[in-house]
Parts: sequence; structure tokens; C-alpha cells
Amino acid sequence: MTAVDAPGAPDAPDDLEPDAGGQLPTPPPIGPVDPTTATLLDEPGSLAAFAAFRHNRIVRVAVRWVVLVGATIAIFCAFLLAKGAQPDEVLRSMWETSLGSPDSVGETFIRATPILLAALAAAVPARGGLFNLGGEGQLLLGAVGAFVAANALDGGASSAVTLVCMAIGGAVFGAAWAAIPAVLKVYTRTNEAISSLLLNYIAGIIITWLCFERWKDPISLGQAYSRELTGGERFPIIWGNRVHLGIFVGVIAGLVLWVILRWSTWGFKLKVLGGNPSAARRAGLAVTGLSIAAMMVGGAMAGLGGMVEVAGTEGRLRPELLAGYGFIGFLASWLARHDPLRIIGAAVLLGAIAVGGSGLKITAGLSGGAVNILMALVLFAVLGWGRTSESEGS
Amino acid sequence: MIEAVLTGAVAGGTSIVFAGLGELTCERAGVINLGTEGSMLCGALAAYVVGINTGSPWLGVLAGIAAGALLASVHAVMVLHRHANQIAVGLVVTFLGTGLTSLFGQDYVGKGVQPLESWAIPGLSKLPFLGTVLFDHDPLTYLSFVAVPLVAWGLWRTRAGLILRSAGEGPEVLEIYGTSARKVRWIALLVGGGLAGLGGAQLSTAATLNWSEGMTVGRGFVAVALVIFAGWHPLKLAGGAYLFSGAIALQLQLQARGWEISRYLLESLPYVTVLVVLALLSNRRIHGGPAALEKVFEG
Repeated sequence: MTAVDAPGAPDAPDDLEPDAGGQLPTPPPIGPVDPTTATLLDEPGSLAAFAAFRHNRIVRVAVRWVVLVGATIAIFCAFLLAKGAQPDEVLRSMWETSLGSPDSVGETFIRATPILLAALAAAVPARGGLFNLGGEGQLLLGAVGAFVAANALDGGASSAVTLVCMAIGGAVFGAAWAAIPAVLKVYTRTNEAISSLLLNYIAGIIITWLCFERWKDPISLGQAYSRELTGGERFPIIWGNRVHLGIFVGVIAGLVLWVILRWSTWGFKLKVLGGNPSAARRAGLAVTGLSIAAMMVGGAMAGLGGMVEVAGTEGRLRPELLAGYGFIGFLASWLARHDPLRIIGAAVLLGAIAVGGSGLKITAGLSGGAVNILMALVLFAVLGWGRTSESEGS
Repeated sequence: MIEAVLTGAVAGGTSIVFAGLGELTCERAGVINLGTEGSMLCGALAAYVVGINTGSPWLGVLAGIAAGALLASVHAVMVLHRHANQIAVGLVVTFLGTGLTSLFGQDYVGKGVQPLESWAIPGLSKLPFLGTVLFDHDPLTYLSFVAVPLVAWGLWRTRAGLILRSAGEGPEVLEIYGTSARKVRWIALLVGGGLAGLGGAQLSTAATLNWSEGMTVGRGFVAVALVIFAGWHPLKLAGGAYLFSGAIALQLQLQARGWEISRYLLESLPYVTVLVVLALLSNRRIHGGPAALEKVFEG
């Protein structure tokens, strides 16, 4: 079965899902079409019952995932043991902080929202074959855009109007920040992965400047943060003390993008661009405009994420606002293979792990950043062993 | 002031030179490794911890190299054996590196380490101007002076270098001649990760003399950017690294002299410089790179 596994193009075939709509010409299949039959032929005749069981697709996939999840947790526990921590205690505290009670589930949804929106920021360009590693900076610029809109209105509009204007401000700022690597890519062929990555650090410096100087709260007594958004500038709390209306923004954006990417002409053009850029060019697609648009739509999503964070959860700009969430979003997008529906699930999973990090800190006294290990292991499992589950014999 | 800026550029550039040489080695063999940032962090922590516990910064440096190479081997397994996307895996590897260093470095924040003392080279360091700029540094900085031409020589003048570059230009051809491209890339990744770890070790045991979470602040990513901007050539890479660290040194000097410019504007200067130069040079550079790399970016 190595023929199916070997070609080093793990992303392209998956993006061209065969069920992309009946009206589209499906590309000619490459390699064996039906791996299940091919595997059955490979199998020796003995142990037929066991083989039949093994080749039941559902059983095979289930076994694979149980092994992967088990291995992921086992390796994480091995690192915890090496640090001298009690793995069972750590895992229990992580579970309790992230999913163990209604309040902690709410916290997971709150954390999952910026991850979900940052993941969409990576996913839309990825559909077109572009790497957006700038989600981190686009989230921050979105938060700035939301503040710009809120400051401009200065409480002079109803809450709904204010929030909509803030969302537009966030999306516009995020899109503009994402447009920089896109334009550089299209007009100077600068590698967009690298330029978007460098822009994160510049965005971080902009936020620090705003918090320490430009927008520093005059009554903050040495603390570096902006004024607090209040009243109509905040999403209403819908559940408990912290869960706010903004958690639906990410889910709605995910659903809308799912529809657009799957059913619209634009989504199809993007898929063609991602599948084979030179073919897209030959077919007369406006590659330049399409690439810039894909990055800007992505940036707008991350910008919304930044807006939801300041208008919902945080209320203020802080220098360390959302640190790491752009990267976690990028991971979520790859975890979900850039499919907006699956991204919703991936964001909740990674959001839960991120919330578990604070449990790690409080109860086990470990550094919260250690949960990055668990996230990385999950990603390795999926990137390295998840994708071949349908095409590999064993 | 020029002297102070140039001295700072050389001292601060060393870690980026090493990481960049490592990344260049990987990319010449056809693998882009965004895990360089993670390898630097692991190298920095390992060198710091071993340096404290053994009292010998040199053992620390060796540990740093080993840690960087070990993290890069994760990238190697994922990319060379599991055929996962190089850019995504690289970022995940960096994520793993930040997580591991966050977990294991927690108890070491703010502990002093026995530093790698700087050696003023007798005679040369007394030269006017050049003496302070070039010949009054820690030993790893001198090593980086040697490493840059050595890597250039190794890549273009030795048989091993030819094989390594072939793995990046035409792995199929290499296979026909009976050499496994996968094996060559494995070696390149281990060497590259080791060099990134060495860069991290220099940072923690000779430059900052401290450990803090995420202390490399994107130096590994900058190294990746510099490799492209240098057109995959070691000498130009070193120039780029000194340009980046020179911008940092300039900013520090201007601040110290109380210039009336926002320090935030100055702090963004190094990143903006790299970005602008990268954009200016990219048009000409894209086809100078190893052929196998373009496949990564074209999907």
C-alpha cells in the first residue's frame, strides 16, 4: 500500500474532495482508487475472520484513533513524570478546569472563540494554497480596530450599532494587516509564510506602544493597559459570570465560510488555485485578486476574533492580549484540514486544552505553557498518522 | 557610537548566524524547518540548565547542540517518514519546543549561570576600532566567524556538500545514483537543529546570561527569513544576521543617548528592516533557491 501513502503531497488531494459538487469536473483519480479492495487482495487467506474484522473500515479507524489518543496522552504523561509531577493529578485538574463543570465548559467556549476565528484566518488562504502564519498579529490589529470604532462613536450610538461598528472596525484592521503579506507575495513574490510571521512581532510592538503610551488608561497606576470598554461597547453576558454573546460570532463565521467555500464559485476558484496554481492561471482565473482576497478574508476573521476578545472577554487592550492564540488557531486549521465545520470542533478541543493550562498552573504548580506540549502532540498525531487512515491498509 | 553599534551587531548576531546556517543547511537539502525557533529555545534552556548543574558552560554548549538536534529529529520523522506538510509541522515543532522549555525551564528562571567568558584575542583586540568590534567576544562568536566560510566551503567544495545540495535540487537524480535523499535530509536536519541549538546556547550562556520563557523572541523565524533573503548563501546570510542585530544595537544606542524617537518605533526597526529587504530582494531570489523547496510552497 505504499503507492497510496508515498507521494509527498499530503495536502493537495484532500482539498479536492470528490464530493465538491456534482457540477464540477472531478479530476482523474491517481493511483489505486479503492484501497479497501486492494488491501483485501494483499491479505493472506488464513485468519479470514480476523482479517475481515480488521478490514472493517469503522473498526480500523476507531482502533487507529484509540491508539493515537492513547499515545498522545502517554507521551504527555511521560514528560510530566520527567518533570516530577503526578500525571493523574495534572490530567484531573486539567479536566476539571476545562470541561468538568458548566462554568469550565463556558470558559472553554470563551477560549475557543478567538482560536476558531484565528483558525479560519489560516484556513481560507490555505484553501488557495497560501500560508497565513500571521493570525497572531491579525487578532491584535482586530482588537485595535474595535477600539478605534468604539472611541470614534464614544458612546453615541445604541449597543447593537456600536458592536456592529466595532466588528467592522476589527475586521477591516485585521484584513488590512493580512493584506501586507498578500500584496508582497503577489507583487514581489515575497514568501507570505515568512512575511506574515514577521508581522506578528511588529503587531506586538504596536500593541505594547498603545498600552504603554498612546491609549494608556490614565487611572491605571503604572499598569500598562487601555481604558475598559463599558456598557454598550461590551457583548451582553448570556450565561454565568463570563460567557458572552460573542461566542456565537465564531460559530456563525465558521458556518458562513463553510457555505461559501463549499458552494460558491469563489470557493471553487480558491480550491482550483490551491490545487494547481499554474492551471488556475492558464484557466484564466484572476490569481492576483483571488490570492489577496483570500488573505484579506482570513485577516478579517482574525480581526473579528480580536474584536470579540476585547468587546467580550477582556474589555481592555493589554500587551499580552491573546498571546499564542494566532498560532493555536493555525494548528486548529491544520487539525481540521482547513474545513470550517471541522474547525469548530478543533477549536473547542484546543480551547479546552488551553483552559486546562490554567488548571495546570493553579493546582499542579506547573507552568501553563506546558499545555503547548499536549497541543503539539495532538497535531503530530493528526498530521502524521491521521490523514492516512482512509488510504492505508493497516 | 558607530563602534558600539557594530560591536553590538556582532555580539547579538552570533545566535542568528548559527541558527541561519542550520536553516540554510536544511533548506539546501530541500527541507524548510520552521522548528528552528523551537530548536533555539531548547538549545538555550539545555545549555543553561547543564551549565548551572555542572558549572561548565562548555558542557552546556554541547547539551544545547544535542537538544536542538533532538527537536529537529521530530521534524525529520514527521516530514521524511510521515510526509506531513513541512511548514505546518515546523510550526508545531516550535510549539513543542516552547511547551517543553516552559515545563522544564520553570524552576530556572532568574538563576545565574557561569557565563562563557569573553576572550580578548591578544594583539588583535588592541587594534583601533576593529579590535573592539571583532576581537573582544565570547569564544562562540569566534566560532561563528569560522563557521560561515566553513559551511560555504563545505557546501560548494566538498563531495558531501554536493550530495546535500543534490538532495535539495533533484532528489530523484540522487536516488538514481544510489544515495538515499531521505538519509541526506535526515543528516541535514540533525546538523541544522544542532546549529540552531548552538545559537540558542550562545544566547543564554554568553549573551543574556539568563533564561526566560520564549527568550528567543522570533530569532529562529528571523533566521528562516534571512536564509531566503540571503539567496541561500552563507556569506550573505551572515550579512543579513548582522544587519538585523545591528538594527537592534542601533536602537539600544539611540535610546541610551536619549533620542527623541519613540522607543516602540525603534524596537520594530529590526523586523521592519528584514521585511523590507526581503521584499526588495524576493523578486530576484525566488529562483535562486533549491528546486525541491519550491514544491513545498506551491503545494
